[in-house]
Amino acid sequence: MSKKKILVVDDSRTALFMVTTILRKERYELVTASDGEQALEVAAAELPDLILMDVIMPRKTGFEACRELKRREDTKSIPVILVTTRGEGENVEAGFQSGCNDYVTKPINAQELLTKVRDHMGAR
Amino acid sequence: MSESKPARTDHGAYVRKVQEDTQNFAQGLIGEVERLRVLVAALESEKATLAAQAREIETIVRANDVLRAQIEGIKAETKAYSSRYAEVEQQNSNLANLYVASYRLHGTLDREQVIAAIQEIIANLVGSEEAALFEIDHDTQALELVASFGVNRDECPSIPLGGSGLIAVTARTGEILVVDPAQVSGATGLESRLTACVPLKLDGKVTGVIAIFGLLPQKGGIEDLDRELFDLLATQAAFALYCTDLHAKVALEAARRW
Repeated sequence: MSKKKILVVDDSRTALFMVTTILRKERYELVTASDGEQALEVAAAELPDLILMDVIMPRKTGFEACRELKRREDTKSIPVILVTTRGEGENVEAGFQSGCNDYVTKPINAQELLTKVRDHMGAR
Repeated sequence: MSESKPARTDHGAYVRKVQEDTQNFAQGLIGEVERLRVLVAALESEKATLAAQAREIETIVRANDVLRAQIEGIKAETKAYSSRYAEVEQQNSNLANLYVASYRLHGTLDREQVIAAIQEIIANLVGSEEAALFEIDHDTQALELVASFGVNRDECPSIPLGGSGLIAVTARTGEILVVDPAQVSGATGLESRLTACVPLKLDGKVTGVIAIFGLLPQKGGIEDLDRELFDLLATQAAFALYCTDLHAKVALEAARRW
C-alpha cells in the first residue's frame, strides 16, 4: 500500500521541523512549502492526501491559500488543517470560512495533531 | 321356601359381581401401580438428568467466574498498557520537542539565525509571542536587549545587573524563574507581564536572560515540558550564541590573516 502524502506548510523552520518530526514517525510521505504561494504550487504538483498549513505566512496567508485550494478543481477535495496561534472563536470562524476542514493551535500538541491527521486521512 | 331361591341366586350374582368388580379394581390398581412405577422411573431418570445438568451448570458457573476474573485482569492490564502507551507517546512527543529545539539551535553558525531559532522555539514550542533576549554587557554591568518579539524595544531598557527586578535577579542567581500567576507580584512595567525568565548559562556562568512575557490564550500555563525546554535553552542557546561569536571571530581572524 502506498504511503499517504501530507503537505506541511510553514514559514517557521522550527515549526516545520517540529511537525515533520511528529508525522515522519507515523510513516507518512511528507512534502513541504514555506509560504502560501509555494503551497499552491506544491499542492497542484503533488496532489497530497492532506494539507497542514500555518495561518500567518508571507506572500499568501494560510486563509488565502486555503480559499484558493478549495476553489481549484484538482485540489478542492484535499482536506486542509490550519495551524493557528490564535484559537479564539473569530479566528477559528475565519479559518472555516476559508474552507479549511479543521484546525490545531500552537504550541502543537503531538497527540492532538496525530488524531486530527488520522481522522482526516481515514475519510479519504 | 319359594322366597329363598331367588335370594340365593341374587346372592351368587352379587358375589360374582363383587368378585368381578374387585378383580377389575385390582386390575385397575395394578395398572395404576404400573403406570406410577413407570412415572417414578421416568422422574428418577429426569432427576438424574437434572442433577447432572445442575453439576454441569455449577461447573460452567465456576468456569464463568474464572473467565470473568481473567477478563477483569485483562481489562486492568489493557488499561495499564493504554496508560503506559499514552505516557510513552507523551515522552516521545516531549523528546521530539527537545530534539527540534536542540537541532534548530545548533543548525547554524549565524547569530541572527540562532536568535530567530530562539524566537521560534518560544513561539512554537513554549507558546508565547512575547519575549525578549538580553545579554550581559560586562562593560556596563547591565543586561542589554539583543532581540525582542511581540514587545516594543522601548519597553526593554538596559537592566542593571544589580537591579531588583526579576530579570536582574535571574541573571544574578542563574536559576530559571517561573512566575506563579496566582501570586501577587510587586513588579511594574514590562516585568508585571513576565511569565518566565531563563538564564543563559555557559560553564555555569550567566551570559544573558530570555524573558518570556504573555502566553498564547490557549496555553494554560507553564508545564513540565516547558521547564525541560527552559533547561535546554539555558545551556544550548547560550552555547549556540557563543559558537556564533566564536565563529565570527575566527572568520574575522582568518580574513585578517589572508
